[in-house]
Amino acid sequence: MTVHDDRAKPPCIAAWLIVLFASAEDESLLGDLLEEFSELASTSGAAVARRWYWRQALQSTPHLFVNGFRSAPWSTTAVVVAGYLLIKVLFPLPEKALFAVLHRYRVFDRHFNVYVFFATDGAAMAHVLTSMLLGCFVGLTASKREMIAATTLVLVLLGMTGAASVAWVTRGNSSMLWSMLPWNLADWLAMLAGAAIIRSHRLAASTATLGR
Amino acid sequence: MSSRDYLGEFEHLIVLAVLRLADQAYGVTVRQEIQNRTRREVSIGAVYATLDRLEAKGYVKSCLGDPTPERGGRSKRFFAVTTKGVTAVNRTQRALESMNEGLELAGAIDDCA
Repeated sequence: MTVHDDRAKPPCIAAWLIVLFASAEDESLLGDLLEEFSELASTSGAAVARRWYWRQALQSTPHLFVNGFRSAPWSTTAVVVAGYLLIKVLFPLPEKALFAVLHRYRVFDRHFNVYVFFATDGAAMAHVLTSMLLGCFVGLTASKREMIAATTLVLVLLGMTGAASVAWVTRGNSSMLWSMLPWNLADWLAMLAGAAIIRSHRLAASTATLGR
Repeated sequence: MSSRDYLGEFEHLIVLAVLRLADQAYGVTVRQEIQNRTRREVSIGAVYATLDRLEAKGYVKSCLGDPTPERGGRSKRFFAVTTKGVTAVNRTQRALESMNEGLELAGAIDDCA
């Protein structure tokens, strides 16, 4: 039996995904989605409407991304280039700092396993945290297009990793690919998460300002 | 006349939908009109991306309506086709008709099979 619910709300994560990528000019699109969702929930039930909303969110996000980039291509590119240069400066730092601490306190002499953990997984985790900070930086510098700039940067890195992967595989070094790929993926997700935090914080702040 | 004077397939569908809907053409109605007539699922993001592109080319224009509570306090964006847009539709239709002229499509498919 279909349950008709006039008070049904769109799925939170799907709605959040849309809001992350929508710019101020996409206000009408958000209203259209809500209007059609409510209409569908009252005629076909909340479950059907939620599934429809998820499909619309997943299909619309790439269009919102492309539109967002097209509306400010140069400023977005500038932020992406700045982010990329910062990667080159920032990424070696946590690794160096971590190894300096480990060597200074001679962790290797006393706790070999702890040393191995920090020398491998610890350094990689420091990378993930650095990526998140970098995502925050990109989000802060890309005015109102936080996710557009961060996603563009991730796509650039993805393309470069793709090219490197081809080189590794053709040279018969595919083990390098499989050891690097999970951590690269974690770095990119952390970068997007950093930008998403800034975007969500800004949206919450602007909603609070409007509510006053 | 450049290739930009012709409408792409989805642009063509969007402009025709806006023309059919007259003063009721906004995101929801345009999306539903295309979906109901072509039986293909269309995302609202694709509709807006195409409408924005058409507006940049001067084929459609838009204006905002009043915000309503059922839309979360957001306005409807109404679209209308410009004279330049109507000319582009006519040109594209003529080009398609000219390409179709004398073709027996059903027979061609049977021959290939």
